Amino acid sequence: MQHTSRRLVSTATKLNASNSISPSSLSFFPPKEALKPPADSFEKDAFLPTDWAAVQPTPSTALNAFAHRIGLASIFKDTDVIRQACTHESYLPLFRKHHPGKALPKTNKQLAALGNSLMGMFATEWVNGRYPHLPTRVMKSVVTAHVGPPTCESVAREMGASPLLRWHRTPASETEPPVLHADAMASIPRSLTALIYQERSLHVARKFVHAYFISRQVDLRSMLKFTNPKTTLIELTKKFGRETPKSRLLSETGRFSNSPVFVVGIYSGADKLGEGFGASLKMAEYRAAEDSLHRVYLTRRPDDMLQLPTSTFPTGLGDIFQKGPEADYTAPEPVPDSEVLYYSADRSARR
Amino acid sequence: MRPLLRAQLRSRPANGHVAYLPQIRKLVFEFCDKWPSSANTRTYILNHIQDVAKENPHVEVVVKQRNQKEPIVRGFYVNNRDKVIPLNSLEVNGIQKKVQLLLDSSGAKIVPLKRRAVESMTESTRGIWSGMHADRPIL
Repeated sequence: MQHTSRRLVSTATKLNASNSISPSSLSFFPPKEALKPPADSFEKDAFLPTDWAAVQPTPSTALNAFAHRIGLASIFKDTDVIRQACTHESYLPLFRKHHPGKALPKTNKQLAALGNSLMGMFATEWVNGRYPHLPTRVMKSVVTAHVGPPTCESVAREMGASPLLRWHRTPASETEPPVLHADAMASIPRSLTALIYQERSLHVARKFVHAYFISRQVDLRSMLKFTNPKTTLIELTKKFGRETPKSRLLSETGRFSNSPVFVVGIYSGADKLGEGFGASLKMAEYRAAEDSLHRVYLTRRPDDMLQLPTSTFPTGLGDIFQKGPEADYTAPEPVPDSEVLYYSADRSARR
Repeated sequence: MRPLLRAQLRSRPANGHVAYLPQIRKLVFEFCDKWPSSANTRTYILNHIQDVAKENPHVEVVVKQRNQKEPIVRGFYVNNRDKVIPLNSLEVNGIQKKVQLLLDSSGAKIVPLKRRAVESMTESTRGIWSGMHADRPIL
């Protein structure tokens, strides 16, 4: 019941947000097609106000304000470019139906594809550089969390792009998946990234992605879950050439009461790898093994030591195929292979 | 163990940590040409509105007719809410203050406090963080 009312409210707000028509763009209101045809006319009344509103052009004042809000007014002086970035390809059939003779507007399909690749590259190099020991599947999940479809949709909404988006809800067909509001919104930041790359350079696009996507908060610890952390830890210590881990009870209280607390530490020789607490010995040992694995996998490279491989592209304006001076880049020391494939996946269904 | 579905992975916003996104999108001034209650609003629109628009380029400023009614100013925000303030009893500097209130607001609903707020005479040691006053990246 609550879910239904919340869904209706969100649909209503989406409709309200997208259909604010500026009177300055209309020469006549109400439009001629809105007037009812005579009862004996051949054509039936097929006018839908929501469709008419969706087909109206977005005012350039709104696009200009949007460019200033995201800090890109110096790059996007021409508002047609932003209009293209906010036009999803699902809009074209609707436009063709209402304006049969007019030239089709440019869509953001290619821009979104290019921007998606760029964002994936920037996020991957950053995650890989910052957490060098992170298992591969977890790294991919973190990249998805930073630049994936739900985040792109959130960022577009927070930028205030929902009244500027031009799209049309498309049901699933045999060849294409359905187009929902979230899919259309997610295409906007991707297109903006591609546009910045085209208008300026790769480094400026990287700065944009770092400012709006990489700065967002992602909980890595919840993505690292192990089916059998003790066995995984044994394999990991073997890889690093250390002694087999041994768990030792560090402290305990209330052993036979209804709320015991045990603190267990896992040692490899004389070095403590991790510590865990629990209401039972097994629980504490499990947590200690998890803690040891977290301490390895979540090792973070300091920001001043972080070197991004895209710094090797030319720093001047233009695409990556131009020749030019590069920023300083020293390859980091090779990190010992800490990936343990046995049950060390993230919480995905695959093993 | 519940599986981690990649399509549902998302990050949480951190507005102001690196880049700050102002929450206001549009300001709409609605006034009547004839009625005296709109006189101060008309003066404000003639004298001050262009400066406000220049200083806040991220805001779309719209001026609309609202004949035979009291003047209002509407602020539209990024969370799809809007705030409406009537301007009929205000002087020009009062209108300036209300416009500044709309510009500074986040658009969130004003909710009463659940418990008594902490009252202290000593200032905070590290200062109060503000995303609005962080350096904006220049691209």
